[in-house]
Amino acid sequence: MRTKLDAVLHEVNQVLLGKEPQVRLALTCLLARGHLLIEDLPGMGKTTLSHALARILGLSFQRIQFTSDLLPGDILGTSVFDKDSGQFVFHPGPIFAELVLADEINRATPKSQSALLEAMEEGQVTIEGATRPLPEPFFVIATQNPVSSGGTFALPESQLDRFLMRLSLGYPARAAERALLLGEARREILPRLEPILDHAELAAIQALIPQVRTSDALVDYVLRLVEATRSEPQFAWGLSPRASLALLAAARAWAFLANRDYVIPEDVQAVLPAVVGHRLRERADPAGHGGGALVQWLLREVPAV
Amino acid sequence: MTRSQTKAAQPSAVQPGAVQPIPRIALTWLLVAQVLVILPHLLHLPFWIAGLWLLCAGWRVQVFRMRARFPTGIERIALVIATGAAAFFSRGSLIGLDGGALLLVATFILKLVELRSRRDGLVLIFLGFFVVVTGYLFDDGLLAALYSLLPVTALLAALIGMQQSGMAERPGATVKLAASMMLQAVPLMLLLFLFFPRMGPLWSLPNPQQAMTGLSDSMAPADIAELSQSPALAFRASFDGKVPARRELYWRALTLEHFDGRRWSQSWGAQQRTQPVWLKQGPSVSYSVIMQPTGTQWLFALDVAVVEQKDIYLMSDFRLEKRRPVTQNLMYQVRSWPQAVREPTQTRGMLSRTLQLPGRGDPLSREWAEQLRREHTDPKGLVEAVLKHFNQQPYSYTLKPPTLGDDSIDDFLFRTKKGFCAHYAGAMTFVLRAAGIPARVVTGYQGGELSQSGDYLSVRQLDAHAWVEYWQEGRGWTSVDPTFQVAPERIDLGAQDAYSDDEAFLEDSPFSPLRYRNVGWINDLRLAWENINYSWQRWVLGYRSEQQLGLLQRLFGSLNWKRMAVAIVGGGGLLLGLLALWLFKPWRRERDPQQRQLRRFEALLLRHGLRRARGEGVRDFAARAAALMPRQADAITTFAQAFEAQRYAGGASAPQELRLLLRRLRRELPWRAATRRQ
Repeated sequence: MRTKLDAVLHEVNQVLLGKEPQVRLALTCLLARGHLLIEDLPGMGKTTLSHALARILGLSFQRIQFTSDLLPGDILGTSVFDKDSGQFVFHPGPIFAELVLADEINRATPKSQSALLEAMEEGQVTIEGATRPLPEPFFVIATQNPVSSGGTFALPESQLDRFLMRLSLGYPARAAERALLLGEARREILPRLEPILDHAELAAIQALIPQVRTSDALVDYVLRLVEATRSEPQFAWGLSPRASLALLAAARAWAFLANRDYVIPEDVQAVLPAVVGHRLRERADPAGHGGGALVQWLLREVPAV
Repeated sequence: MTRSQTKAAQPSAVQPGAVQPIPRIALTWLLVAQVLVILPHLLHLPFWIAGLWLLCAGWRVQVFRMRARFPTGIERIALVIATGAAAFFSRGSLIGLDGGALLLVATFILKLVELRSRRDGLVLIFLGFFVVVTGYLFDDGLLAALYSLLPVTALLAALIGMQQSGMAERPGATVKLAASMMLQAVPLMLLLFLFFPRMGPLWSLPNPQQAMTGLSDSMAPADIAELSQSPALAFRASFDGKVPARRELYWRALTLEHFDGRRWSQSWGAQQRTQPVWLKQGPSVSYSVIMQPTGTQWLFALDVAVVEQKDIYLMSDFRLEKRRPVTQNLMYQVRSWPQAVREPTQTRGMLSRTLQLPGRGDPLSREWAEQLRREHTDPKGLVEAVLKHFNQQPYSYTLKPPTLGDDSIDDFLFRTKKGFCAHYAGAMTFVLRAAGIPARVVTGYQGGELSQSGDYLSVRQLDAHAWVEYWQEGRGWTSVDPTFQVAPERIDLGAQDAYSDDEAFLEDSPFSPLRYRNVGWINDLRLAWENINYSWQRWVLGYRSEQQLGLLQRLFGSLNWKRMAVAIVGGGGLLLGLLALWLFKPWRRERDPQQRQLRRFEALLLRHGLRRARGEGVRDFAARAAALMPRQADAITTFAQAFEAQRYAGGASAPQELRLLLRRLRRELPWRAATRRQ
């Protein structure tokens, strides 16, 4: 099973060059049944990553481009009257895919955003009184464009909290970019990718992850981290229990990926920036993006052992 | 096991084999410390030493700024030779305290220009401590002792700065740590001061400087045109009871029995350590004396003195002598019987010594003596006649006597009639001897200044005095003071008060506070300062083995070696125990056995310069350590894995296993805390 996971990582890394940590975190997020927010400039490989993951994990893939005039129905789907049958027939929206890429999510109005976010949280959508379950597995990769603040609706903290992780891909290293320039077009590689895991295997893995051992000492460390965010003065607010659960789940998945059946503090530290970075604000600047510095503070100052 | 998140091993700060440079902070503090160390020495060192320091410090700073290079071998040799030659020419010799101190300080300065590695820095710092200690040979006063805390703190700061640490950017923090270390050392210092056994000196330094001041062992009044008056302290005496009247305070130092026509000097016969015969009579006075170092063996006491101290003897001429020259402040307890009868019977060779006169010369005086002998059959009457002569004839007391010719006694008695105590004492002894009465000159000090509180007397060099004692069969020695006949105020008021109007008084010391004794508040300040100094000398410098024994006896009752050993070991043990408690804080001891082993693991690696960051996991830490210490990598990793297995993987808690692994790691680590890692 784990060799297959290593193969998954290997394959994705063939497509998205030089981004091993981010790819590993993205897979961790998926294994932990969380959703992923990628905050980065356009053209950094967000779509490629999502697409490659979907292909290799054998997931159906849909992309929703969020715009300011996007309506909830455009995401969830609408019932259309079918003249032939004389009935309203539900046309499922793009959300009914196993891996959904919600591009530039902050360009849509809050109403449309919340339609997606509710679906993410509940795992089902209710349209016109009928509750329809979303496919299983269900994984959302949303992207945000940090630069284009004009005409955007920044996600409120409550909604950011629903993403297990927030990642930033960043520019590729020189060697990776050289390989990218010299190699085949990514667009041509993607259709050729073969699924490595089927749904049953993915589900089995996802079911194994909660069994990864978290010892008392490890939980103590997670508690120390969370308590620090709640008591130290530089934090505008502390981490929610949802955040601590997310942290533990992500750390388990990370440990599983590292071929271990127990979590060590280093696992928590590895996922900490991605898991809590978007949930923290500096007291001095509650609207800003001080999360990164706070996470570094946590990593540095909270006793790991 | 794949781990994408690998922290890059931090580059080792120390390259193997590379010379460790002097950190900036250490250099700064070294320079500061050098200034502080050398400053008090400038009082007795030639001034070019300051220039040498400026040269060397400037050079070293330029090296640090990469504007200059280190001196080459030839340059260094030239510097050493030039400095050695300069030292030789300014001191005339490189041997002895003065020359030695000069050489030591010069070495201390020269080492600066070849300060390349950390090792050189350590040499320089330890040399600095030694230079501080040599300063006590020149001045062991309270101010000097307090001042030496400054250079010691600066040297400590340099020593701390020399260690590689994050503090190397903050000079303030370094000196703060140094100061707190000094404070922590205080209780230990006090304990050692009180209880550490005092041993006699293994060697003593000849101290030419101190031998120059004070009394000398001979007296030639004829050759002195001007008596220089020094306000320097000679000794202090504190009486157990009432202080005797000033005119009874004749502090005997020496007796001069041999006269060669100009110079009075000691005779061999008076240098015996045989107890003279004397009979206790009248009341006794008890007092303790703290004397300044003189470089000579004689001590000061009132007649007839008894000292219960092994290495102090009463000599055959009733003076006290110490076995070794007094090179440090000395305190001794004396009991004196002023009215005792001294040597009532004649001893062998006494008459020949105390009637000795040069073969010829001073005919007028001899003639006068003959005349006196004819007039007075009773020696006492004769002595009184001489004293009366001084009293009634126009003799006067002066600090600037006219010089005397070949027949110095005649010249003084019948022509100039001006002089100070040595003239009168010498002339009277001469006349008494010529008249057949055994007599000798006694030199010492007269009087002393009572402290504000009335506790003790300060006797200064300007209280130096000379008087006469003559011998009669059956009555022994009697002291008389011819100066008293001429200048009774000299005795009654003391030299300071009697002559403070005299122009010659303290002419050489314009800044001596004694000159301004008429200004009330200056005098008060001076006396208060005297008090402090007295306590310093009495309780700190004077704390020798006798005082220590006394204190210990008071504390622990009758003293024997067993008890002493128990006290020292017990006290030391108690102190160490408290220190250990404070350092290890057992009440804060880790209760978790695994954690405890982890702390030991950390302590072990810390000794080799590796500290686990607070937020660093054990696995990361072990990986970092293993990268820096590849030889021990296996042991380090094994421990980390075992710890992880027990703590996180649900393995059974087995601290014993961790302990064994730690032991293995300790065996593999090099014994010395390596600053250079393999």
